[in-house]
Amino acid sequence: MASVTLEHIYKHFGDFTAVKDQNLEIRDKEFVVLVGPSGCGKSTTLRMIAGLEEISEGTLKIGDQVVNDVAPKDRDIAMVFQNYALYPHMNVYDNMAFGLKLRKFPKDEIDRRVQDAADILGIEQLLDRKPKQLSGGQRQRVALGRAIVREPKVFLMDEPLSNLDAKLRVQMRTELSKLHDRLKTTMIYVTHDQTEAMTMGDRIVVLKDGVVQQVDDPLSLYNKPNNMFVAGFIGSPAMNFMDAVIEKEGDTYYLEGDGAFKIRVPEDKEDHIKDYVGKEVVFGVRPEDIVDTKITHDFEVKEDNSFEADVDVVEPMGSEIYLYLAEEGHSLIARVEAESTAQVGDTISLGIDLRKIHVFDAETEECIF
Amino acid sequence: MQITLKDIARMADVAESTVSRALNDKPGVGRETKLKILKIAKENNYRPNQLARGLAAKKTNMIAVILAEMDSPGNIEIVKSIEKAADEKGYQIILCNTNNQEDKEESYLSLLESNQVDGAIFIGGKLVGSHLLRASFSQDNRIVLVNRLAEENFFTSVLTDYSQGIYQAVEHLVEENFKKIALVCGSRDDLIEEEKISGYKNALRDSGLDLNQELIFSTANDRQAGYNVFLEIIEGDVIPDAFISTRELTTIGLVEAIKMGGYFIPDDFAVVGYGDNILTSVIDPPLTVLSEPVEELGKSSLEFLLKLINDNLDSQQIKVLTPELIIRESSISKYN
Repeated sequence: MASVTLEHIYKHFGDFTAVKDQNLEIRDKEFVVLVGPSGCGKSTTLRMIAGLEEISEGTLKIGDQVVNDVAPKDRDIAMVFQNYALYPHMNVYDNMAFGLKLRKFPKDEIDRRVQDAADILGIEQLLDRKPKQLSGGQRQRVALGRAIVREPKVFLMDEPLSNLDAKLRVQMRTELSKLHDRLKTTMIYVTHDQTEAMTMGDRIVVLKDGVVQQVDDPLSLYNKPNNMFVAGFIGSPAMNFMDAVIEKEGDTYYLEGDGAFKIRVPEDKEDHIKDYVGKEVVFGVRPEDIVDTKITHDFEVKEDNSFEADVDVVEPMGSEIYLYLAEEGHSLIARVEAESTAQVGDTISLGIDLRKIHVFDAETEECIF
Repeated sequence: MQITLKDIARMADVAESTVSRALNDKPGVGRETKLKILKIAKENNYRPNQLARGLAAKKTNMIAVILAEMDSPGNIEIVKSIEKAADEKGYQIILCNTNNQEDKEESYLSLLESNQVDGAIFIGGKLVGSHLLRASFSQDNRIVLVNRLAEENFFTSVLTDYSQGIYQAVEHLVEENFKKIALVCGSRDDLIEEEKISGYKNALRDSGLDLNQELIFSTANDRQAGYNVFLEIIEGDVIPDAFISTRELTTIGLVEAIKMGGYFIPDDFAVVGYGDNILTSVIDPPLTVLSEPVEELGKSSLEFLLKLINDNLDSQQIKVLTPELIIRESSISKYN
């Protein structure tokens, strides 16, 4: 078991810097997910931890040991990657035992570890089979088994589920989380899928252009995003963003959206935006925080937290409905209850849960509140 | 003196770019001019400068073939097959020998890293080490492994199923009524040799024969080692009635020692050797061998590499080929 510490880590490829000044402390036994769009540096970071990429600058520690110059095989890590090729001519047992045989483990120890891992993964009955006799999910379990038998200090996983179909992916997500609870080992997991990140990580590291945007637990990331990038990346459908100007009338502050809306800034947030009066900001609200006013809610809908919009598209999801709305040049999505009767072409009244709104600095894109 | 585009342009009295278009079958050249240019090129034995062509296309049309052991006849056959397939596709090969030394392997990898070659095929060798793993990422994995294993397996590979091969050999000897089958193999530290041993054990088990550890002999891979191991065996407590030798050079030494000792093959000892080459078929008696699918190993590895180079390989591939048992006189029981 071990912590993993990144101190001022950089990765340069010629003139291009793929990873910039990364500082990260991954605690022992923690499940940390690195997430971001392609090219954000998440896989490069993982490969530097694995020892598959040289670190251009900075210090990498596993436990207390600086491992910048330690070969991958000596880092006591195990990797599970998207391409989980198994040797087709070896049975499951031999594929799993491969690394241990290499390390000259005694036969009974190899046997114990393979049986244990097979038990954890529920593949005991498959040990004699060849890879081609396995389903995609089973093969993925064997690939995990290869890593588990090593009993490493740290597991590194790079999009290990991306070759699986959607249903299996959801199932394996849960299994991986359970596996982490059971193994109690540090896991670092890379994905581009924010849902995967949100459902699996103890903490999530959001990356963009090689720079860490935010490190937080899933709920904090969702409720208190540091900037517009994180706010837009985490959550599905994504947060709605609208340009607005802060206006003050008497003692009350408003978000004024070019005649399209005028939303009151909650009193407890006024301190944050005092200096923004007359300035441009970006108003952010998640689709689930916009409601159909015909349906009752746990907050009051008044003139200063509602607006009207035309319904462009209605997407019934069963348990809820996505409404694609147009309002004075703005387009936004609302995620409303299934009881909503809104139809395409209707002009409907919508309420905003002011407790959940976000405001960002238009210039820096940083969160104001 | 090699004729250049410039020379042809001068001779045909056209611009260099016209010559280039004509030779590359691009539009924009009149039919007659084109025929004239092609005629001059042919008469003067014009060959495009691959290096210059590579610079323009950011490709060299060269691939490195990196051997762990140069003196294995089977490896040379694989290289020949790669060279033939490469030639057909307009590629040339650079042959490198690492002698199983990691530092040499690393220095040859620099050919790939500095883009002096478009890709590399590694034939044989120890388990993949860190530098090869790293290169597989930094060089977009333009690497194919032949008969080489990797623990973190990100490599497209073409492998021989040695275990299955040895299994077939044991099965055959059992059918021929041999009961005490010795295995002469390489170091047990070598995973590929370990695979051969496992094929041997599985076949004995499935044939209902007991495994006797004293009949497994690990030796170096050369003729002398094959010779010496026989001298050692006939001094031992358990005398086998048949041998399976898992490598070419040791097979030669083993057969030599049996004959020098005045014994007869297969009357006293049956022999199944490894690798089908000119020697094994003309030797007296002609040897039963496990023939490595050298041609296919070479061809498939080149096909995979070209797909990797041209981004046509969707996901990593591992192809496994089984050696063929070629039965000749050396393993046919006289007492059947």
